[in-house]
Amino acid sequence: MHEAELADKFAAYAEAHLPGARNARVASISRIHGGASRQTYSIDLAYEDATGPKVKGLILRRDPPDSLIDTERRVEFAAIKSAYGQRDLPVPEALFLETDTAALGAPFFVMGRIEGGTPLNPFRIDEAEPHRAAIGEQFFRHLGSIAALAIDGSALADEIDVPAPDQCWRRELDYWANEIRSNALTPQPVAEAAIRHLERHPPPPAQRLSVVHGDYRTGNYLQDGAGTITAILDWEMAHIGDPYEDLAWATDLLWCGNDQERAAGLLPWPEAIAVWQAASGCSFDPEAFEWWSLFAHVKALGIWVTSEKAFARGENDDPILAWSGWFTHAAHELMLAMRLGPKYGGGA
Amino acid sequence: MSNIGMILDRIGRKLVTEVAPKLEGDYSGGHAGMSGLMAVMAGEAWDGAADRLANEIASLRGLLALAGKAVDIAEAGSLKLSDLTIERDALARDLIALQAGLETRKDDASKALNAKIWTHLMATAMARMPSPPDFPDAEG
Repeated sequence: MHEAELADKFAAYAEAHLPGARNARVASISRIHGGASRQTYSIDLAYEDATGPKVKGLILRRDPPDSLIDTERRVEFAAIKSAYGQRDLPVPEALFLETDTAALGAPFFVMGRIEGGTPLNPFRIDEAEPHRAAIGEQFFRHLGSIAALAIDGSALADEIDVPAPDQCWRRELDYWANEIRSNALTPQPVAEAAIRHLERHPPPPAQRLSVVHGDYRTGNYLQDGAGTITAILDWEMAHIGDPYEDLAWATDLLWCGNDQERAAGLLPWPEAIAVWQAASGCSFDPEAFEWWSLFAHVKALGIWVTSEKAFARGENDDPILAWSGWFTHAAHELMLAMRLGPKYGGGA
Repeated sequence: MSNIGMILDRIGRKLVTEVAPKLEGDYSGGHAGMSGLMAVMAGEAWDGAADRLANEIASLRGLLALAGKAVDIAEAGSLKLSDLTIERDALARDLIALQAGLETRKDDASKALNAKIWTHLMATAMARMPSPPDFPDAEG
């Protein structure tokens, strides 16, 4: 569907769903690069209501034509609803979820657009200067706040299963091991060895069940260039699980701009952990975190092999999937090999 | 014009430095930039691809031989990357099974062979890692 047709159909849909709206039209629409799992558009919707003319900034997240999975869209919508307005988290307002394909040719959801912010590239994290420390403090405080969100009665808990605390690691490892085995185009000896290692050395049960964002990292938040994180985005992998999962993913080496002295390339490690603990109310166990840190590499490989397969089979031709299947896959395979190999005498 | 690595490098740099900036603001601009980066990377990888695969195959066959395994995987019929990849992948599947078995045993010989397998995996992972492109605006 071309953008002009999409804009007309979206205006009609929005007019029907915004209370009191009339004469709705899309004043501007532009597709946002990245986020290959969804087609993401920034839209200015002009309309009138009883108080006069208005322009509302919206984000439309529409499934690609080949998408067969609707679970993730509902989960993402529910996760955003669960976090919106809670604990000072900068999260957009979830507005519409449409599962019928009639309106726009594919399921979609719509959220309010948070103005004033751009993503920070994890490969150019130095661009956070001179606000690196301020961004880092908010990064770990918001992450802790997500871990502290109430689960009972949340929109997210209504959509997905809640695991037992001692099964969080098992469920995630099984899921991502299956993703790797189902989607890898070539044998994965490093990933397989890592999966077996993690199975033999399980972490302790989760100290608490938390909302897990699932992809919380530099690149998935907006910042205003003046030291403020304005929006936390990309909740499509959200679930309920062990809070260490998000902390480990957020501080994965790939997202730290080659700066291992600072967690996520933003804050000195002790400071980052202290901020996260204060906001989450969680304790920090280095051994448990080590398991989840290794698991983060395995999870990443699961994402990268799936991306590579989608690109290789022509299901999605966004070049970023080829990049994921090549560069980032190689990076995480190397991290796993270099961290696990010496534990078994490798490299001696 | 038969230097494929050089051609890919030049095409990639053209895409990144000339084409992508002209498409700034358009969705295809991101595609052009990313494609250019990977063309440069492909140019570098192209030169060493067969050598890397041949090294992996030799190392895998050596490890399987150390385990006393009778390997009935045929050698690649040519030096085409596609043929070498088929041979490498078949050997890698055997390696996964071998290592999983070694991990269940406590004897020193099994531990020593497992250490050699990890050394191979570390070396292979290092060899496979592409150099990050040297553009100041390299995307990720």
